Amino acid sequence: MSIPNETLKAMIRDYNGLELSDEELELVRPELETYFSELTKLESLDLSDTLSGRLMQLPERS
Amino acid sequence: MPNVDLLRMTISELAPKIQNKEISPVELTEAALAEADRLQPTLNSFITILHDQAMEQARESEGALSRGDYRGPLHGIPIGLKDNLATGGITTTVGSKVLANHVPEEDAEVVVRCRNAGAIFIGKENLEEFAAGATSNNPHYGAVHNPWGVDHIPGGSSGGGGANVAAGVTFASLGTDLGGSVRLPGTFCGVVGLKQSYGRVSQRGLMVTSFNGDHIGPMTRSVADSALMLQALAGNDPLDPSTVPVPVPDYSSYLGKGLKGLKMGVPSNHFFDMLDIEVETAVRGSIAALEELGAELQEVSLPAMEYIGAMRISAMADGVVTHEPFLKNHREAYGPDVLYRTIPGQFVLGKDYSKSLKVQRLIQEEYLQVMQRVDFLITPTAPVSAPRIDASYININGEDHRVRGPGSGFISRNTSPLNAVGLPAISVPCGVNRAGLPIGVQFITGPFEEGLLFQVADSYEKASPSQGLRPAISVGV
Repeated sequence: MSIPNETLKAMIRDYNGLELSDEELELVRPELETYFSELTKLESLDLSDTLSGRLMQLPERS
Repeated sequence: MPNVDLLRMTISELAPKIQNKEISPVELTEAALAEADRLQPTLNSFITILHDQAMEQARESEGALSRGDYRGPLHGIPIGLKDNLATGGITTTVGSKVLANHVPEEDAEVVVRCRNAGAIFIGKENLEEFAAGATSNNPHYGAVHNPWGVDHIPGGSSGGGGANVAAGVTFASLGTDLGGSVRLPGTFCGVVGLKQSYGRVSQRGLMVTSFNGDHIGPMTRSVADSALMLQALAGNDPLDPSTVPVPVPDYSSYLGKGLKGLKMGVPSNHFFDMLDIEVETAVRGSIAALEELGAELQEVSLPAMEYIGAMRISAMADGVVTHEPFLKNHREAYGPDVLYRTIPGQFVLGKDYSKSLKVQRLIQEEYLQVMQRVDFLITPTAPVSAPRIDASYININGEDHRVRGPGSGFISRNTSPLNAVGLPAISVPCGVNRAGLPIGVQFITGPFEEGLLFQVADSYEKASPSQGLRPAISVGV
């Protein structure tokens, strides 16, 4: 998946984001590609039964 | 005893000598400061060396001893503090130009606890800009150099601390670990790096940090010293809601108990998938050594680790929220690596952030189930030994991986999952590669089982091929 620079610029404009020039948009691409590739992996993962909970629990044996 | 010999000792060895007044905290601190000054041009491990404050603390420490007021094993011990830990009245830069002149009003809670335990603060240690990376190649304060090979990174983001403990300048250093930033300097600098359970140590006073998964932990020269440091740091902080009010055991009582009957889990996926061959050989050797010591090997599977990369999504969003106030007014003061790794977080959608948190929960549950079947897990701490400072990429099995900046994260692939799940993990040296650079092995236990973690790590440490090895750059050399 890849998002055109124009879409990213529209997001910055409409959501009051942090400005990025065309050159800077290329510099942030590797991080965005990481984001998109991880999203692709999640497409087949069913998270509907994942319950929230406390971050940590004490083990029963202690 | 010559100063060099003093500075090469561990806290466990020094403490009784200080208590018995065989060693003077003033002389020890003078020796540590002298070596800090001598090695600073080579290692660049400090942002601020606290000459006057350290000597004042040392004199107070000696005075307390003469009155019979011994405060415990850290009494009179020179240590270092990462420069993202708030120190009242002392500049705390977080490795940034933005906060170059920032002077906090109060100490971080961990600084208070170390001070109360009698530790002496030698200096504020160099780190990655805003602690956001694994190299400690800081664009504003210069790169930290690895004492085992000065052309190599010490790991990060707590690289100054790792370099100082390895070189013998400090006896321990406090770092912070959001994705491996204590354990990676541990492995690359050949010292012990601890990230305890999330909630075990207060984060109050850790500056410009994430909302999810940061920890403050010690780097030390031995597992026994790590136990002594955690003893001083651990415990509920009523002013930090992330801490958990559970009892703190006597960690040193777990040392020397051995491994007989303990079940050692070796993950069959993720942690051994992409490794430098010398790292894999060293860690497989550690597994064999642990079996020799009586641990029972059991292969374990962690299938949800396939999705661990999703944690980067929530980290991106958290990062931009953390930095937004600075980015709006001081963007020009950022180095490019952190700037262009942070800003993309503004494009993360809320639904994807929520998915990322659900994945975190899924993976946590899987680890907790596995930890019901085994006593501890063993993995390589990092997939490689320390890369060169000038390296932009490292190549493993024909594939290039970024070392710093946007799209990086390969170096922390074995450490960051434990930040996501919150389990305690420790890196212990397990040998060196052909170039003489250290390699580390990581042990993991169940939540709040740091005692067991020290038991395992201490047993292994005594059999490790790293015993007796010293870096090329160190005190007296």
